[in-house]
Amino acid sequence: MDFDLSVITDHARFLASGVGVTLALAALSGATSLVLGLVVALLRLYGPRGLRHVVVLYIDSMRAIPVLVVLVWTFFALPIVTGLTMPPFAAALIGLTIHLAAYAAEIIRAGIESVRPGQTRAAVALGMSPAQAVRRIVLPQAVVRTLPAFGSLLSITIKDTAIASVIAVPELMRQSETVAGQSFQPIEVYTFAMLVYFLMLFPVTRGVDRVYRRVAHLGRS
Amino acid sequence: MTLDWSVVWQHRDALLAGTATTVLLTFATMAIAVPCGIVVAVLRLYGPAPVRAAATAYVELFRNLPLILVVFWAFYVLPIWTGLSGLSPLATGLAALALNVTAYNAETFRAGINSIRRGQVEAAMALGMSRLQALRRVIVPQAVRRITPVLASTWVSLFKDTSLVSVIAVTELAYSAMQVRAQTFRVLEMLTAMAAIYWLLGYPQAKLVDWIQRRYAVTE
Amino acid sequence: MTANSATGNGGDAARAMAGAPCIVRYQGVIKRFGAFTALNGVDLDVHAGEVVCLIGPSGSGKSTLLRCTNGLETIDGGAIEFEGATLPRDERALRAMRRRMGMVFQSFELFPHFTALQNVAEGPRTVLGQSADAADARAKALLAKVGLADKAASYPSALSGGQQQRVAIARALAMEPDVMLFDEPTSALDPETIGEVLNVMKALAEEGMTMVVVTHEMTFARRVGDWIAVFDAGRIVEQGVPDQIFDAPATDRTRDFLSHLGWTG
Repeated sequence: MDFDLSVITDHARFLASGVGVTLALAALSGATSLVLGLVVALLRLYGPRGLRHVVVLYIDSMRAIPVLVVLVWTFFALPIVTGLTMPPFAAALIGLTIHLAAYAAEIIRAGIESVRPGQTRAAVALGMSPAQAVRRIVLPQAVVRTLPAFGSLLSITIKDTAIASVIAVPELMRQSETVAGQSFQPIEVYTFAMLVYFLMLFPVTRGVDRVYRRVAHLGRS
Repeated sequence: MTLDWSVVWQHRDALLAGTATTVLLTFATMAIAVPCGIVVAVLRLYGPAPVRAAATAYVELFRNLPLILVVFWAFYVLPIWTGLSGLSPLATGLAALALNVTAYNAETFRAGINSIRRGQVEAAMALGMSRLQALRRVIVPQAVRRITPVLASTWVSLFKDTSLVSVIAVTELAYSAMQVRAQTFRVLEMLTAMAAIYWLLGYPQAKLVDWIQRRYAVTE
Repeated sequence: MTANSATGNGGDAARAMAGAPCIVRYQGVIKRFGAFTALNGVDLDVHAGEVVCLIGPSGSGKSTLLRCTNGLETIDGGAIEFEGATLPRDERALRAMRRRMGMVFQSFELFPHFTALQNVAEGPRTVLGQSADAADARAKALLAKVGLADKAASYPSALSGGQQQRVAIARALAMEPDVMLFDEPTSALDPETIGEVLNVMKALAEEGMTMVVVTHEMTFARRVGDWIAVFDAGRIVEQGVPDQIFDAPATDRTRDFLSHLGWTG
């Protein structure tokens, strides 16, 4: 099997733009899903009863439905419902946000619940309001404790951007498909794509591990 | 906007067949990935240094690649590497899924075994047990308790991931639903039906995983 | 035996069981963990039927010596002899020797997925290949001996610390060892349950079991011990009969250690 790397170099710019879109989509959906996830988690923990049930239904539904299905529905079906056309990137961003926020919410909830109740009691005994106790004492510890889980979720986010290729978002996976199709050299192209994804993903979990090891003591009560 | 939901019922055969393939793929993948995962985990924990390195490399590689890419790569590369050019999309999809889930399982088994306190191994060895006996009688029974909830969670993820082999035209649920959509042009109905079927199958599984995790909760 | 001469002792003449065969012999044992030397030349004999107590400050090497005895740690210098044979490096030969040594851990280390009976029967069943019935019968007898016949069907999680440790002792005894190694057996116990474990150990000693005990329980060491070895910084600074060590310690280090414990005899 001979490897002809010229196909990579010839299309370097094209593939690089794919990497850019991958990173942009991952970063944006990571951020939005974090915000939405925080809202959902707080609603589930402290919200009114009726809303809590809706939230739980949403979270469990996202555990049941594949990302592919969410993305495809958002891109093809949602415009029919709303009457608005949607560019692929926007559809991917919305779909990924909705899907990932459920997982983020669960991570945050588990993190908050893992902080010992004694901590809240101590805070209240000092005279803090419940909101202050959550903000100043519970959440900071929860943030530290959830670092490994969020590292894992970030890794999943980057991997899920590749699924957006199915709705024609020009990220790395899609660009690779195009080049592979045109050049009839799928092996070189896809192997190259594997290398790039690995180089993107491997440092993420390693980096989170290292950061966590340094700050873990801040979350241990 | 006129909706015709009868399309779903009319094509229920295709959808049912797709669902069956999805379920079959999940079972078949796990049937391969659990034993293989155990082997890789054991190699990684107890093998000689080069074998340990190779096993670790395999696990780290497949945990850091998008599954959809592995599916495409398997579709183009596997026939050439194995020399079997007549590999069906189903077999290719199964291979890609198995490679992926084996790596995750290997990590699950390794972490489960390592989570058992060192003192337990020492107590077993102090009685005169061999490493293998200690593993079989003391470590594995305890590790199984910790591993089961994680394995259940992996199962549910796998069930959803089977949708990704649709990109190489394996006729599981996602592919079947999208084929019907292409044929009938009933986009909203078919895509919603697809989501609904996944929801109906996946929701109970997720709840079951919750129950397993509660039941097998380990209190040290 | 010249091994003891450099450490300031009460002399072999006062040693009750000096004439009995040597079960365990440590000669110049050295053990390092990276840059840290845990054992720096330890010489000690353990005769048949003797209760040898290893005392001294934390980190002085007592537990390390015990763990080297049954090969859980490998030594870096010197030699350990068990029943006249040097401790082998080969894992299989080492395992055969381990069957004749019983070890009791500070953290009990009972197998949580087995009942008390199954814990005690596990060694004879899996290691000695005995039949389930024979192993169970022996296990029942041993549990009765340590006073826990009624807890045979209980899981470790349902037992108190003292009860768990007694089951652990029974588990080690089930192998019919020639020597019992105790690594701080009561250090992890509530004060109320220490007594029940020490009583079992005392009964064992009175039956003539050879025992090497790492302990902080000075009353036990004085009353039940036949020979005391005082450790400090990886060496034995003094060894002798209990009366001499506790009443008339020959070295400053021993005096310091005992006074820190508030030992007034």
